[in-house]
Amino acid sequence: MSTKSNLYLIALAVASLFFSSCKSEDPVPENDGELITDVTLTFQEIDASGNALGAPFDFTASDSEGIEIGSAPDVETVMLTKGKRYEMSVDVYNSVAGEDITEEIRAEGDEHQFYFLGSAFTSSPFLSYEYNDDGAELIGLKGIVTVQQSPGVNTANIQLLLRHALDKNYPGADNPNFQDYAKAGGETDLDITFPVVVE
Amino acid sequence: MILLLGFKIQAQDCSLSIRGKIIHLENNEPIEAAYVWVIEAEEGAVSDQNGNFTIKNLCRGNYTVTIQYLGHKTITDSIKLESTTFSKTYRLEEEAVGLQGVEVHGHRDAVQTTTAVSALYGENLMESRGENLGESLKRISGVSTFSTGNSISKPVIHGMHSNRIMIMNNGIRLEGQQWGAEHAPEIDPFLADEITVVKGAETVRYGPEAMGGVILVNPAPLPTKKFSKTNLNLVGGTNGRMGNINLVHVGGSDKIKGLGYRIQGSAKRSGNVKSPDYIQENTGVSELNLSSSLGYSSSKLGVEAYYSLFHTELGILNDSHTGNLSDLQNIIVNGRPFADGEFSYDILNPKQRVTHHLAKLKSHYHISESWKLNFQYGFQLNHRQEFDKRRGNLNEKASLDLELYTNTVDLYVNHTHKNELSGTWGINFIQQANSNVPGTGVTPLIPNYDMVNTGLYAMEKYSKGPLEVEAGVRYDFRNVSTARYINQELRTADIAYQNFSAFLGGLYHISPDLTFNSNLGSAWRPPNVNELFSEGLHHGAAAVEIGNPDMVSEKSLKWINELQYDGKRTHLEFTAYLNPISDYIYLNPTGEVYTSLRGTFNIYEYLQANALFYGFDFAGSYEFTEKISGYLKGSIVQAKNTDDNNYFPFIPSNRMDWGISYDFSQATDSRTNKITLSNVLVAKQNREPDFDIAPPPSAYALFNISYNKEFNVGDDKLNLGLQVQNLFNTSYKDYMNRFRYFSYDMGRNVLIKINYEF
Repeated sequence: MSTKSNLYLIALAVASLFFSSCKSEDPVPENDGELITDVTLTFQEIDASGNALGAPFDFTASDSEGIEIGSAPDVETVMLTKGKRYEMSVDVYNSVAGEDITEEIRAEGDEHQFYFLGSAFTSSPFLSYEYNDDGAELIGLKGIVTVQQSPGVNTANIQLLLRHALDKNYPGADNPNFQDYAKAGGETDLDITFPVVVE
Repeated sequence: MILLLGFKIQAQDCSLSIRGKIIHLENNEPIEAAYVWVIEAEEGAVSDQNGNFTIKNLCRGNYTVTIQYLGHKTITDSIKLESTTFSKTYRLEEEAVGLQGVEVHGHRDAVQTTTAVSALYGENLMESRGENLGESLKRISGVSTFSTGNSISKPVIHGMHSNRIMIMNNGIRLEGQQWGAEHAPEIDPFLADEITVVKGAETVRYGPEAMGGVILVNPAPLPTKKFSKTNLNLVGGTNGRMGNINLVHVGGSDKIKGLGYRIQGSAKRSGNVKSPDYIQENTGVSELNLSSSLGYSSSKLGVEAYYSLFHTELGILNDSHTGNLSDLQNIIVNGRPFADGEFSYDILNPKQRVTHHLAKLKSHYHISESWKLNFQYGFQLNHRQEFDKRRGNLNEKASLDLELYTNTVDLYVNHTHKNELSGTWGINFIQQANSNVPGTGVTPLIPNYDMVNTGLYAMEKYSKGPLEVEAGVRYDFRNVSTARYINQELRTADIAYQNFSAFLGGLYHISPDLTFNSNLGSAWRPPNVNELFSEGLHHGAAAVEIGNPDMVSEKSLKWINELQYDGKRTHLEFTAYLNPISDYIYLNPTGEVYTSLRGTFNIYEYLQANALFYGFDFAGSYEFTEKISGYLKGSIVQAKNTDDNNYFPFIPSNRMDWGISYDFSQATDSRTNKITLSNVLVAKQNREPDFDIAPPPSAYALFNISYNKEFNVGDDKLNLGLQVQNLFNTSYKDYMNRFRYFSYDMGRNVLIKINYEF
């Protein structure tokens, strides 16, 4: 390249720097990629050998406004039947950016893990949970929920927690009802409490 | 009897004196060691470091006084000495002839003001090498830091920080994203030869926002004759395995008289720092800085071009970044990170990457002997990127990405006359454009904005003998226009601000050793864009912050008084100030929480209230013997919300620092060879606000030890320093560190500092 055209390019670069320094850029709307607007729990009843019985049904927690102040998420009540076993899958969706976050969680399975807390699993447990993900990694996108035959109460809460960047090797971190999850480090990406009723 | 009477009359008449002050005509700086001679009386005196002199026991009559100082034109003045004491200020003009081999060493005030000023230079500055600006300035009484972990610290002057103080990089007001608590000033302390802190309100001189004070980071003046000097600094620290190198070369041209240059570069790398019981993960720092200047000066014209680059990438302590309120509460209860951590130099998300370019062109022209015209243009580009722990590809993208362009133009005239009056009149223009770089995948915390500020000001100073009186006025007007999308909806705003500010100050040399100064200055600060328009989640802080677009400007009045004593063995400085502020802006917890699928968050809102800041600083040193000396300094700040009669958060607690030094060097040897043991005492903050997510940490005491020795290597100079900070590896938390919620501060650090001058 000739010196002249080099000089021209430098002059152009300086001029563009100068002009861009005089006025701020027009704003561009951002789609919040981190946002989660819908979380769906899908229950499929299964028999002792794992075969599906009947049609699956689901319960959703949604917050279409994203981080708008003043609105609370809509959370449906989970209805289950005593003594039954279900395969529960979790689906996470961002309706603002139109993204399926479930896939992202699966792809980064080594960094993510769901914990199932709340009174239904801890203080007066009538539900039990086992991880049953497709790969070897414990994530909690798929698991088996068993309802006790004759629980002492029939209403409780399911707290669904998604931890990100945790130490999966921390002692106890493989327990789906691990109450000391914070000790394994990382931060919370999801924290929803579903009311649950068993009949 | 007659003889006796005659003697008595003569004695009465001969108790008169001539007092005066000698300063540079060019810049009003005091001249030390100028020689004053009264020809008729055959009496002489030498000016002290403030430029003052006194010749006593003179009789009535006419005298001829000559004032001489190397490299300056001699002044001859005729004086008629009558009943009262005579006093006058003399301004010495520099002679055009260059004097080879003459070098003036020592400290010159970077700013001529009647308000309280403290500076960090020489040995003290050398001891601070390797630290960031905030940490370095803690050596000055009344200055503390507001920090976020161990790598981000902002200087605090008399309880004020961020946009309430101003930082000047070689004469240009530093314009970064100073609004954020975790946004450290974008400046490399290595570029400075001297760092000065002006503790008074200096809005008139420096523009809006110089409310709590001003920090001047200034390189040494460029040489104007043949000269060559290179300075190499090497700093190594055990904690974080830190290494820091700095190289400066200063040169003066032989061929072109008046041409000089400086080029400087520094690099710093450190890994995870260690608290006494564990390693803080992801706390590494990587920094690369450059600065250069080229100057030309003749008797009439001076031109200087300057460029500085600051680039840093720093990790944010892993567990401090919380997903929601229960995460935050979990770590606060734990009081430290959950993991013990391992050492690593890796800087992972969450992290910050900041690049700051600053270029300036400055010129002055002497229109006549007493009038000087000055022009200064500054260009700045600040690019700040903050990365969070996110999912998938988003990890590569910054969640905050801001580009701030700033243009500043200053045009002013100085006048200095042989009489007692001098002054500055000028116009100052600031234009800013701040843009969010698209593609972050996060709704921006602050809108894009354009700001234009114009200020007109005038200051005059009257000096007569030991007295200096100074006053100034300024008028500013500012326009801010903002635009952004919230939920796909464009929101814009146009806001105008204007304000008048003024100051009145005085300085009086009570005796050659004792000086008193007092300054009353008004200041204002328009609300920042984040205070007006924040609306949403502050990622990592587990807080939702809400601004108020209807906020008005903060207005303050700062009255500061200082008494200084400079004796042979004793040095004392006492400063007291009173600083009422109306419409002080602060972030107030509403006590409400916001619930989302991510969990709950505390809601904070920006409010305005009337505030009263007041306090004291003291600093003193005493030479017990030729070998042993000691120092003591401390500060107390009170900050009350006078509307609600409670306290503001993040105001420094009472602190004190004392030490004892032993000098090994011989009396005839001027080279340093000194050991210092010091002790820092920080009280618990008992003046706490009504709401805080964790109570203030306990008081603490730290011990430090340092040894410095200077050698000659041929014609070159070598300085070696060994320092141990936090000698006893004490676990402590500081109230002014935002990460006190998550971690203890740094443990013991052993540092080796080498400075080689050739």
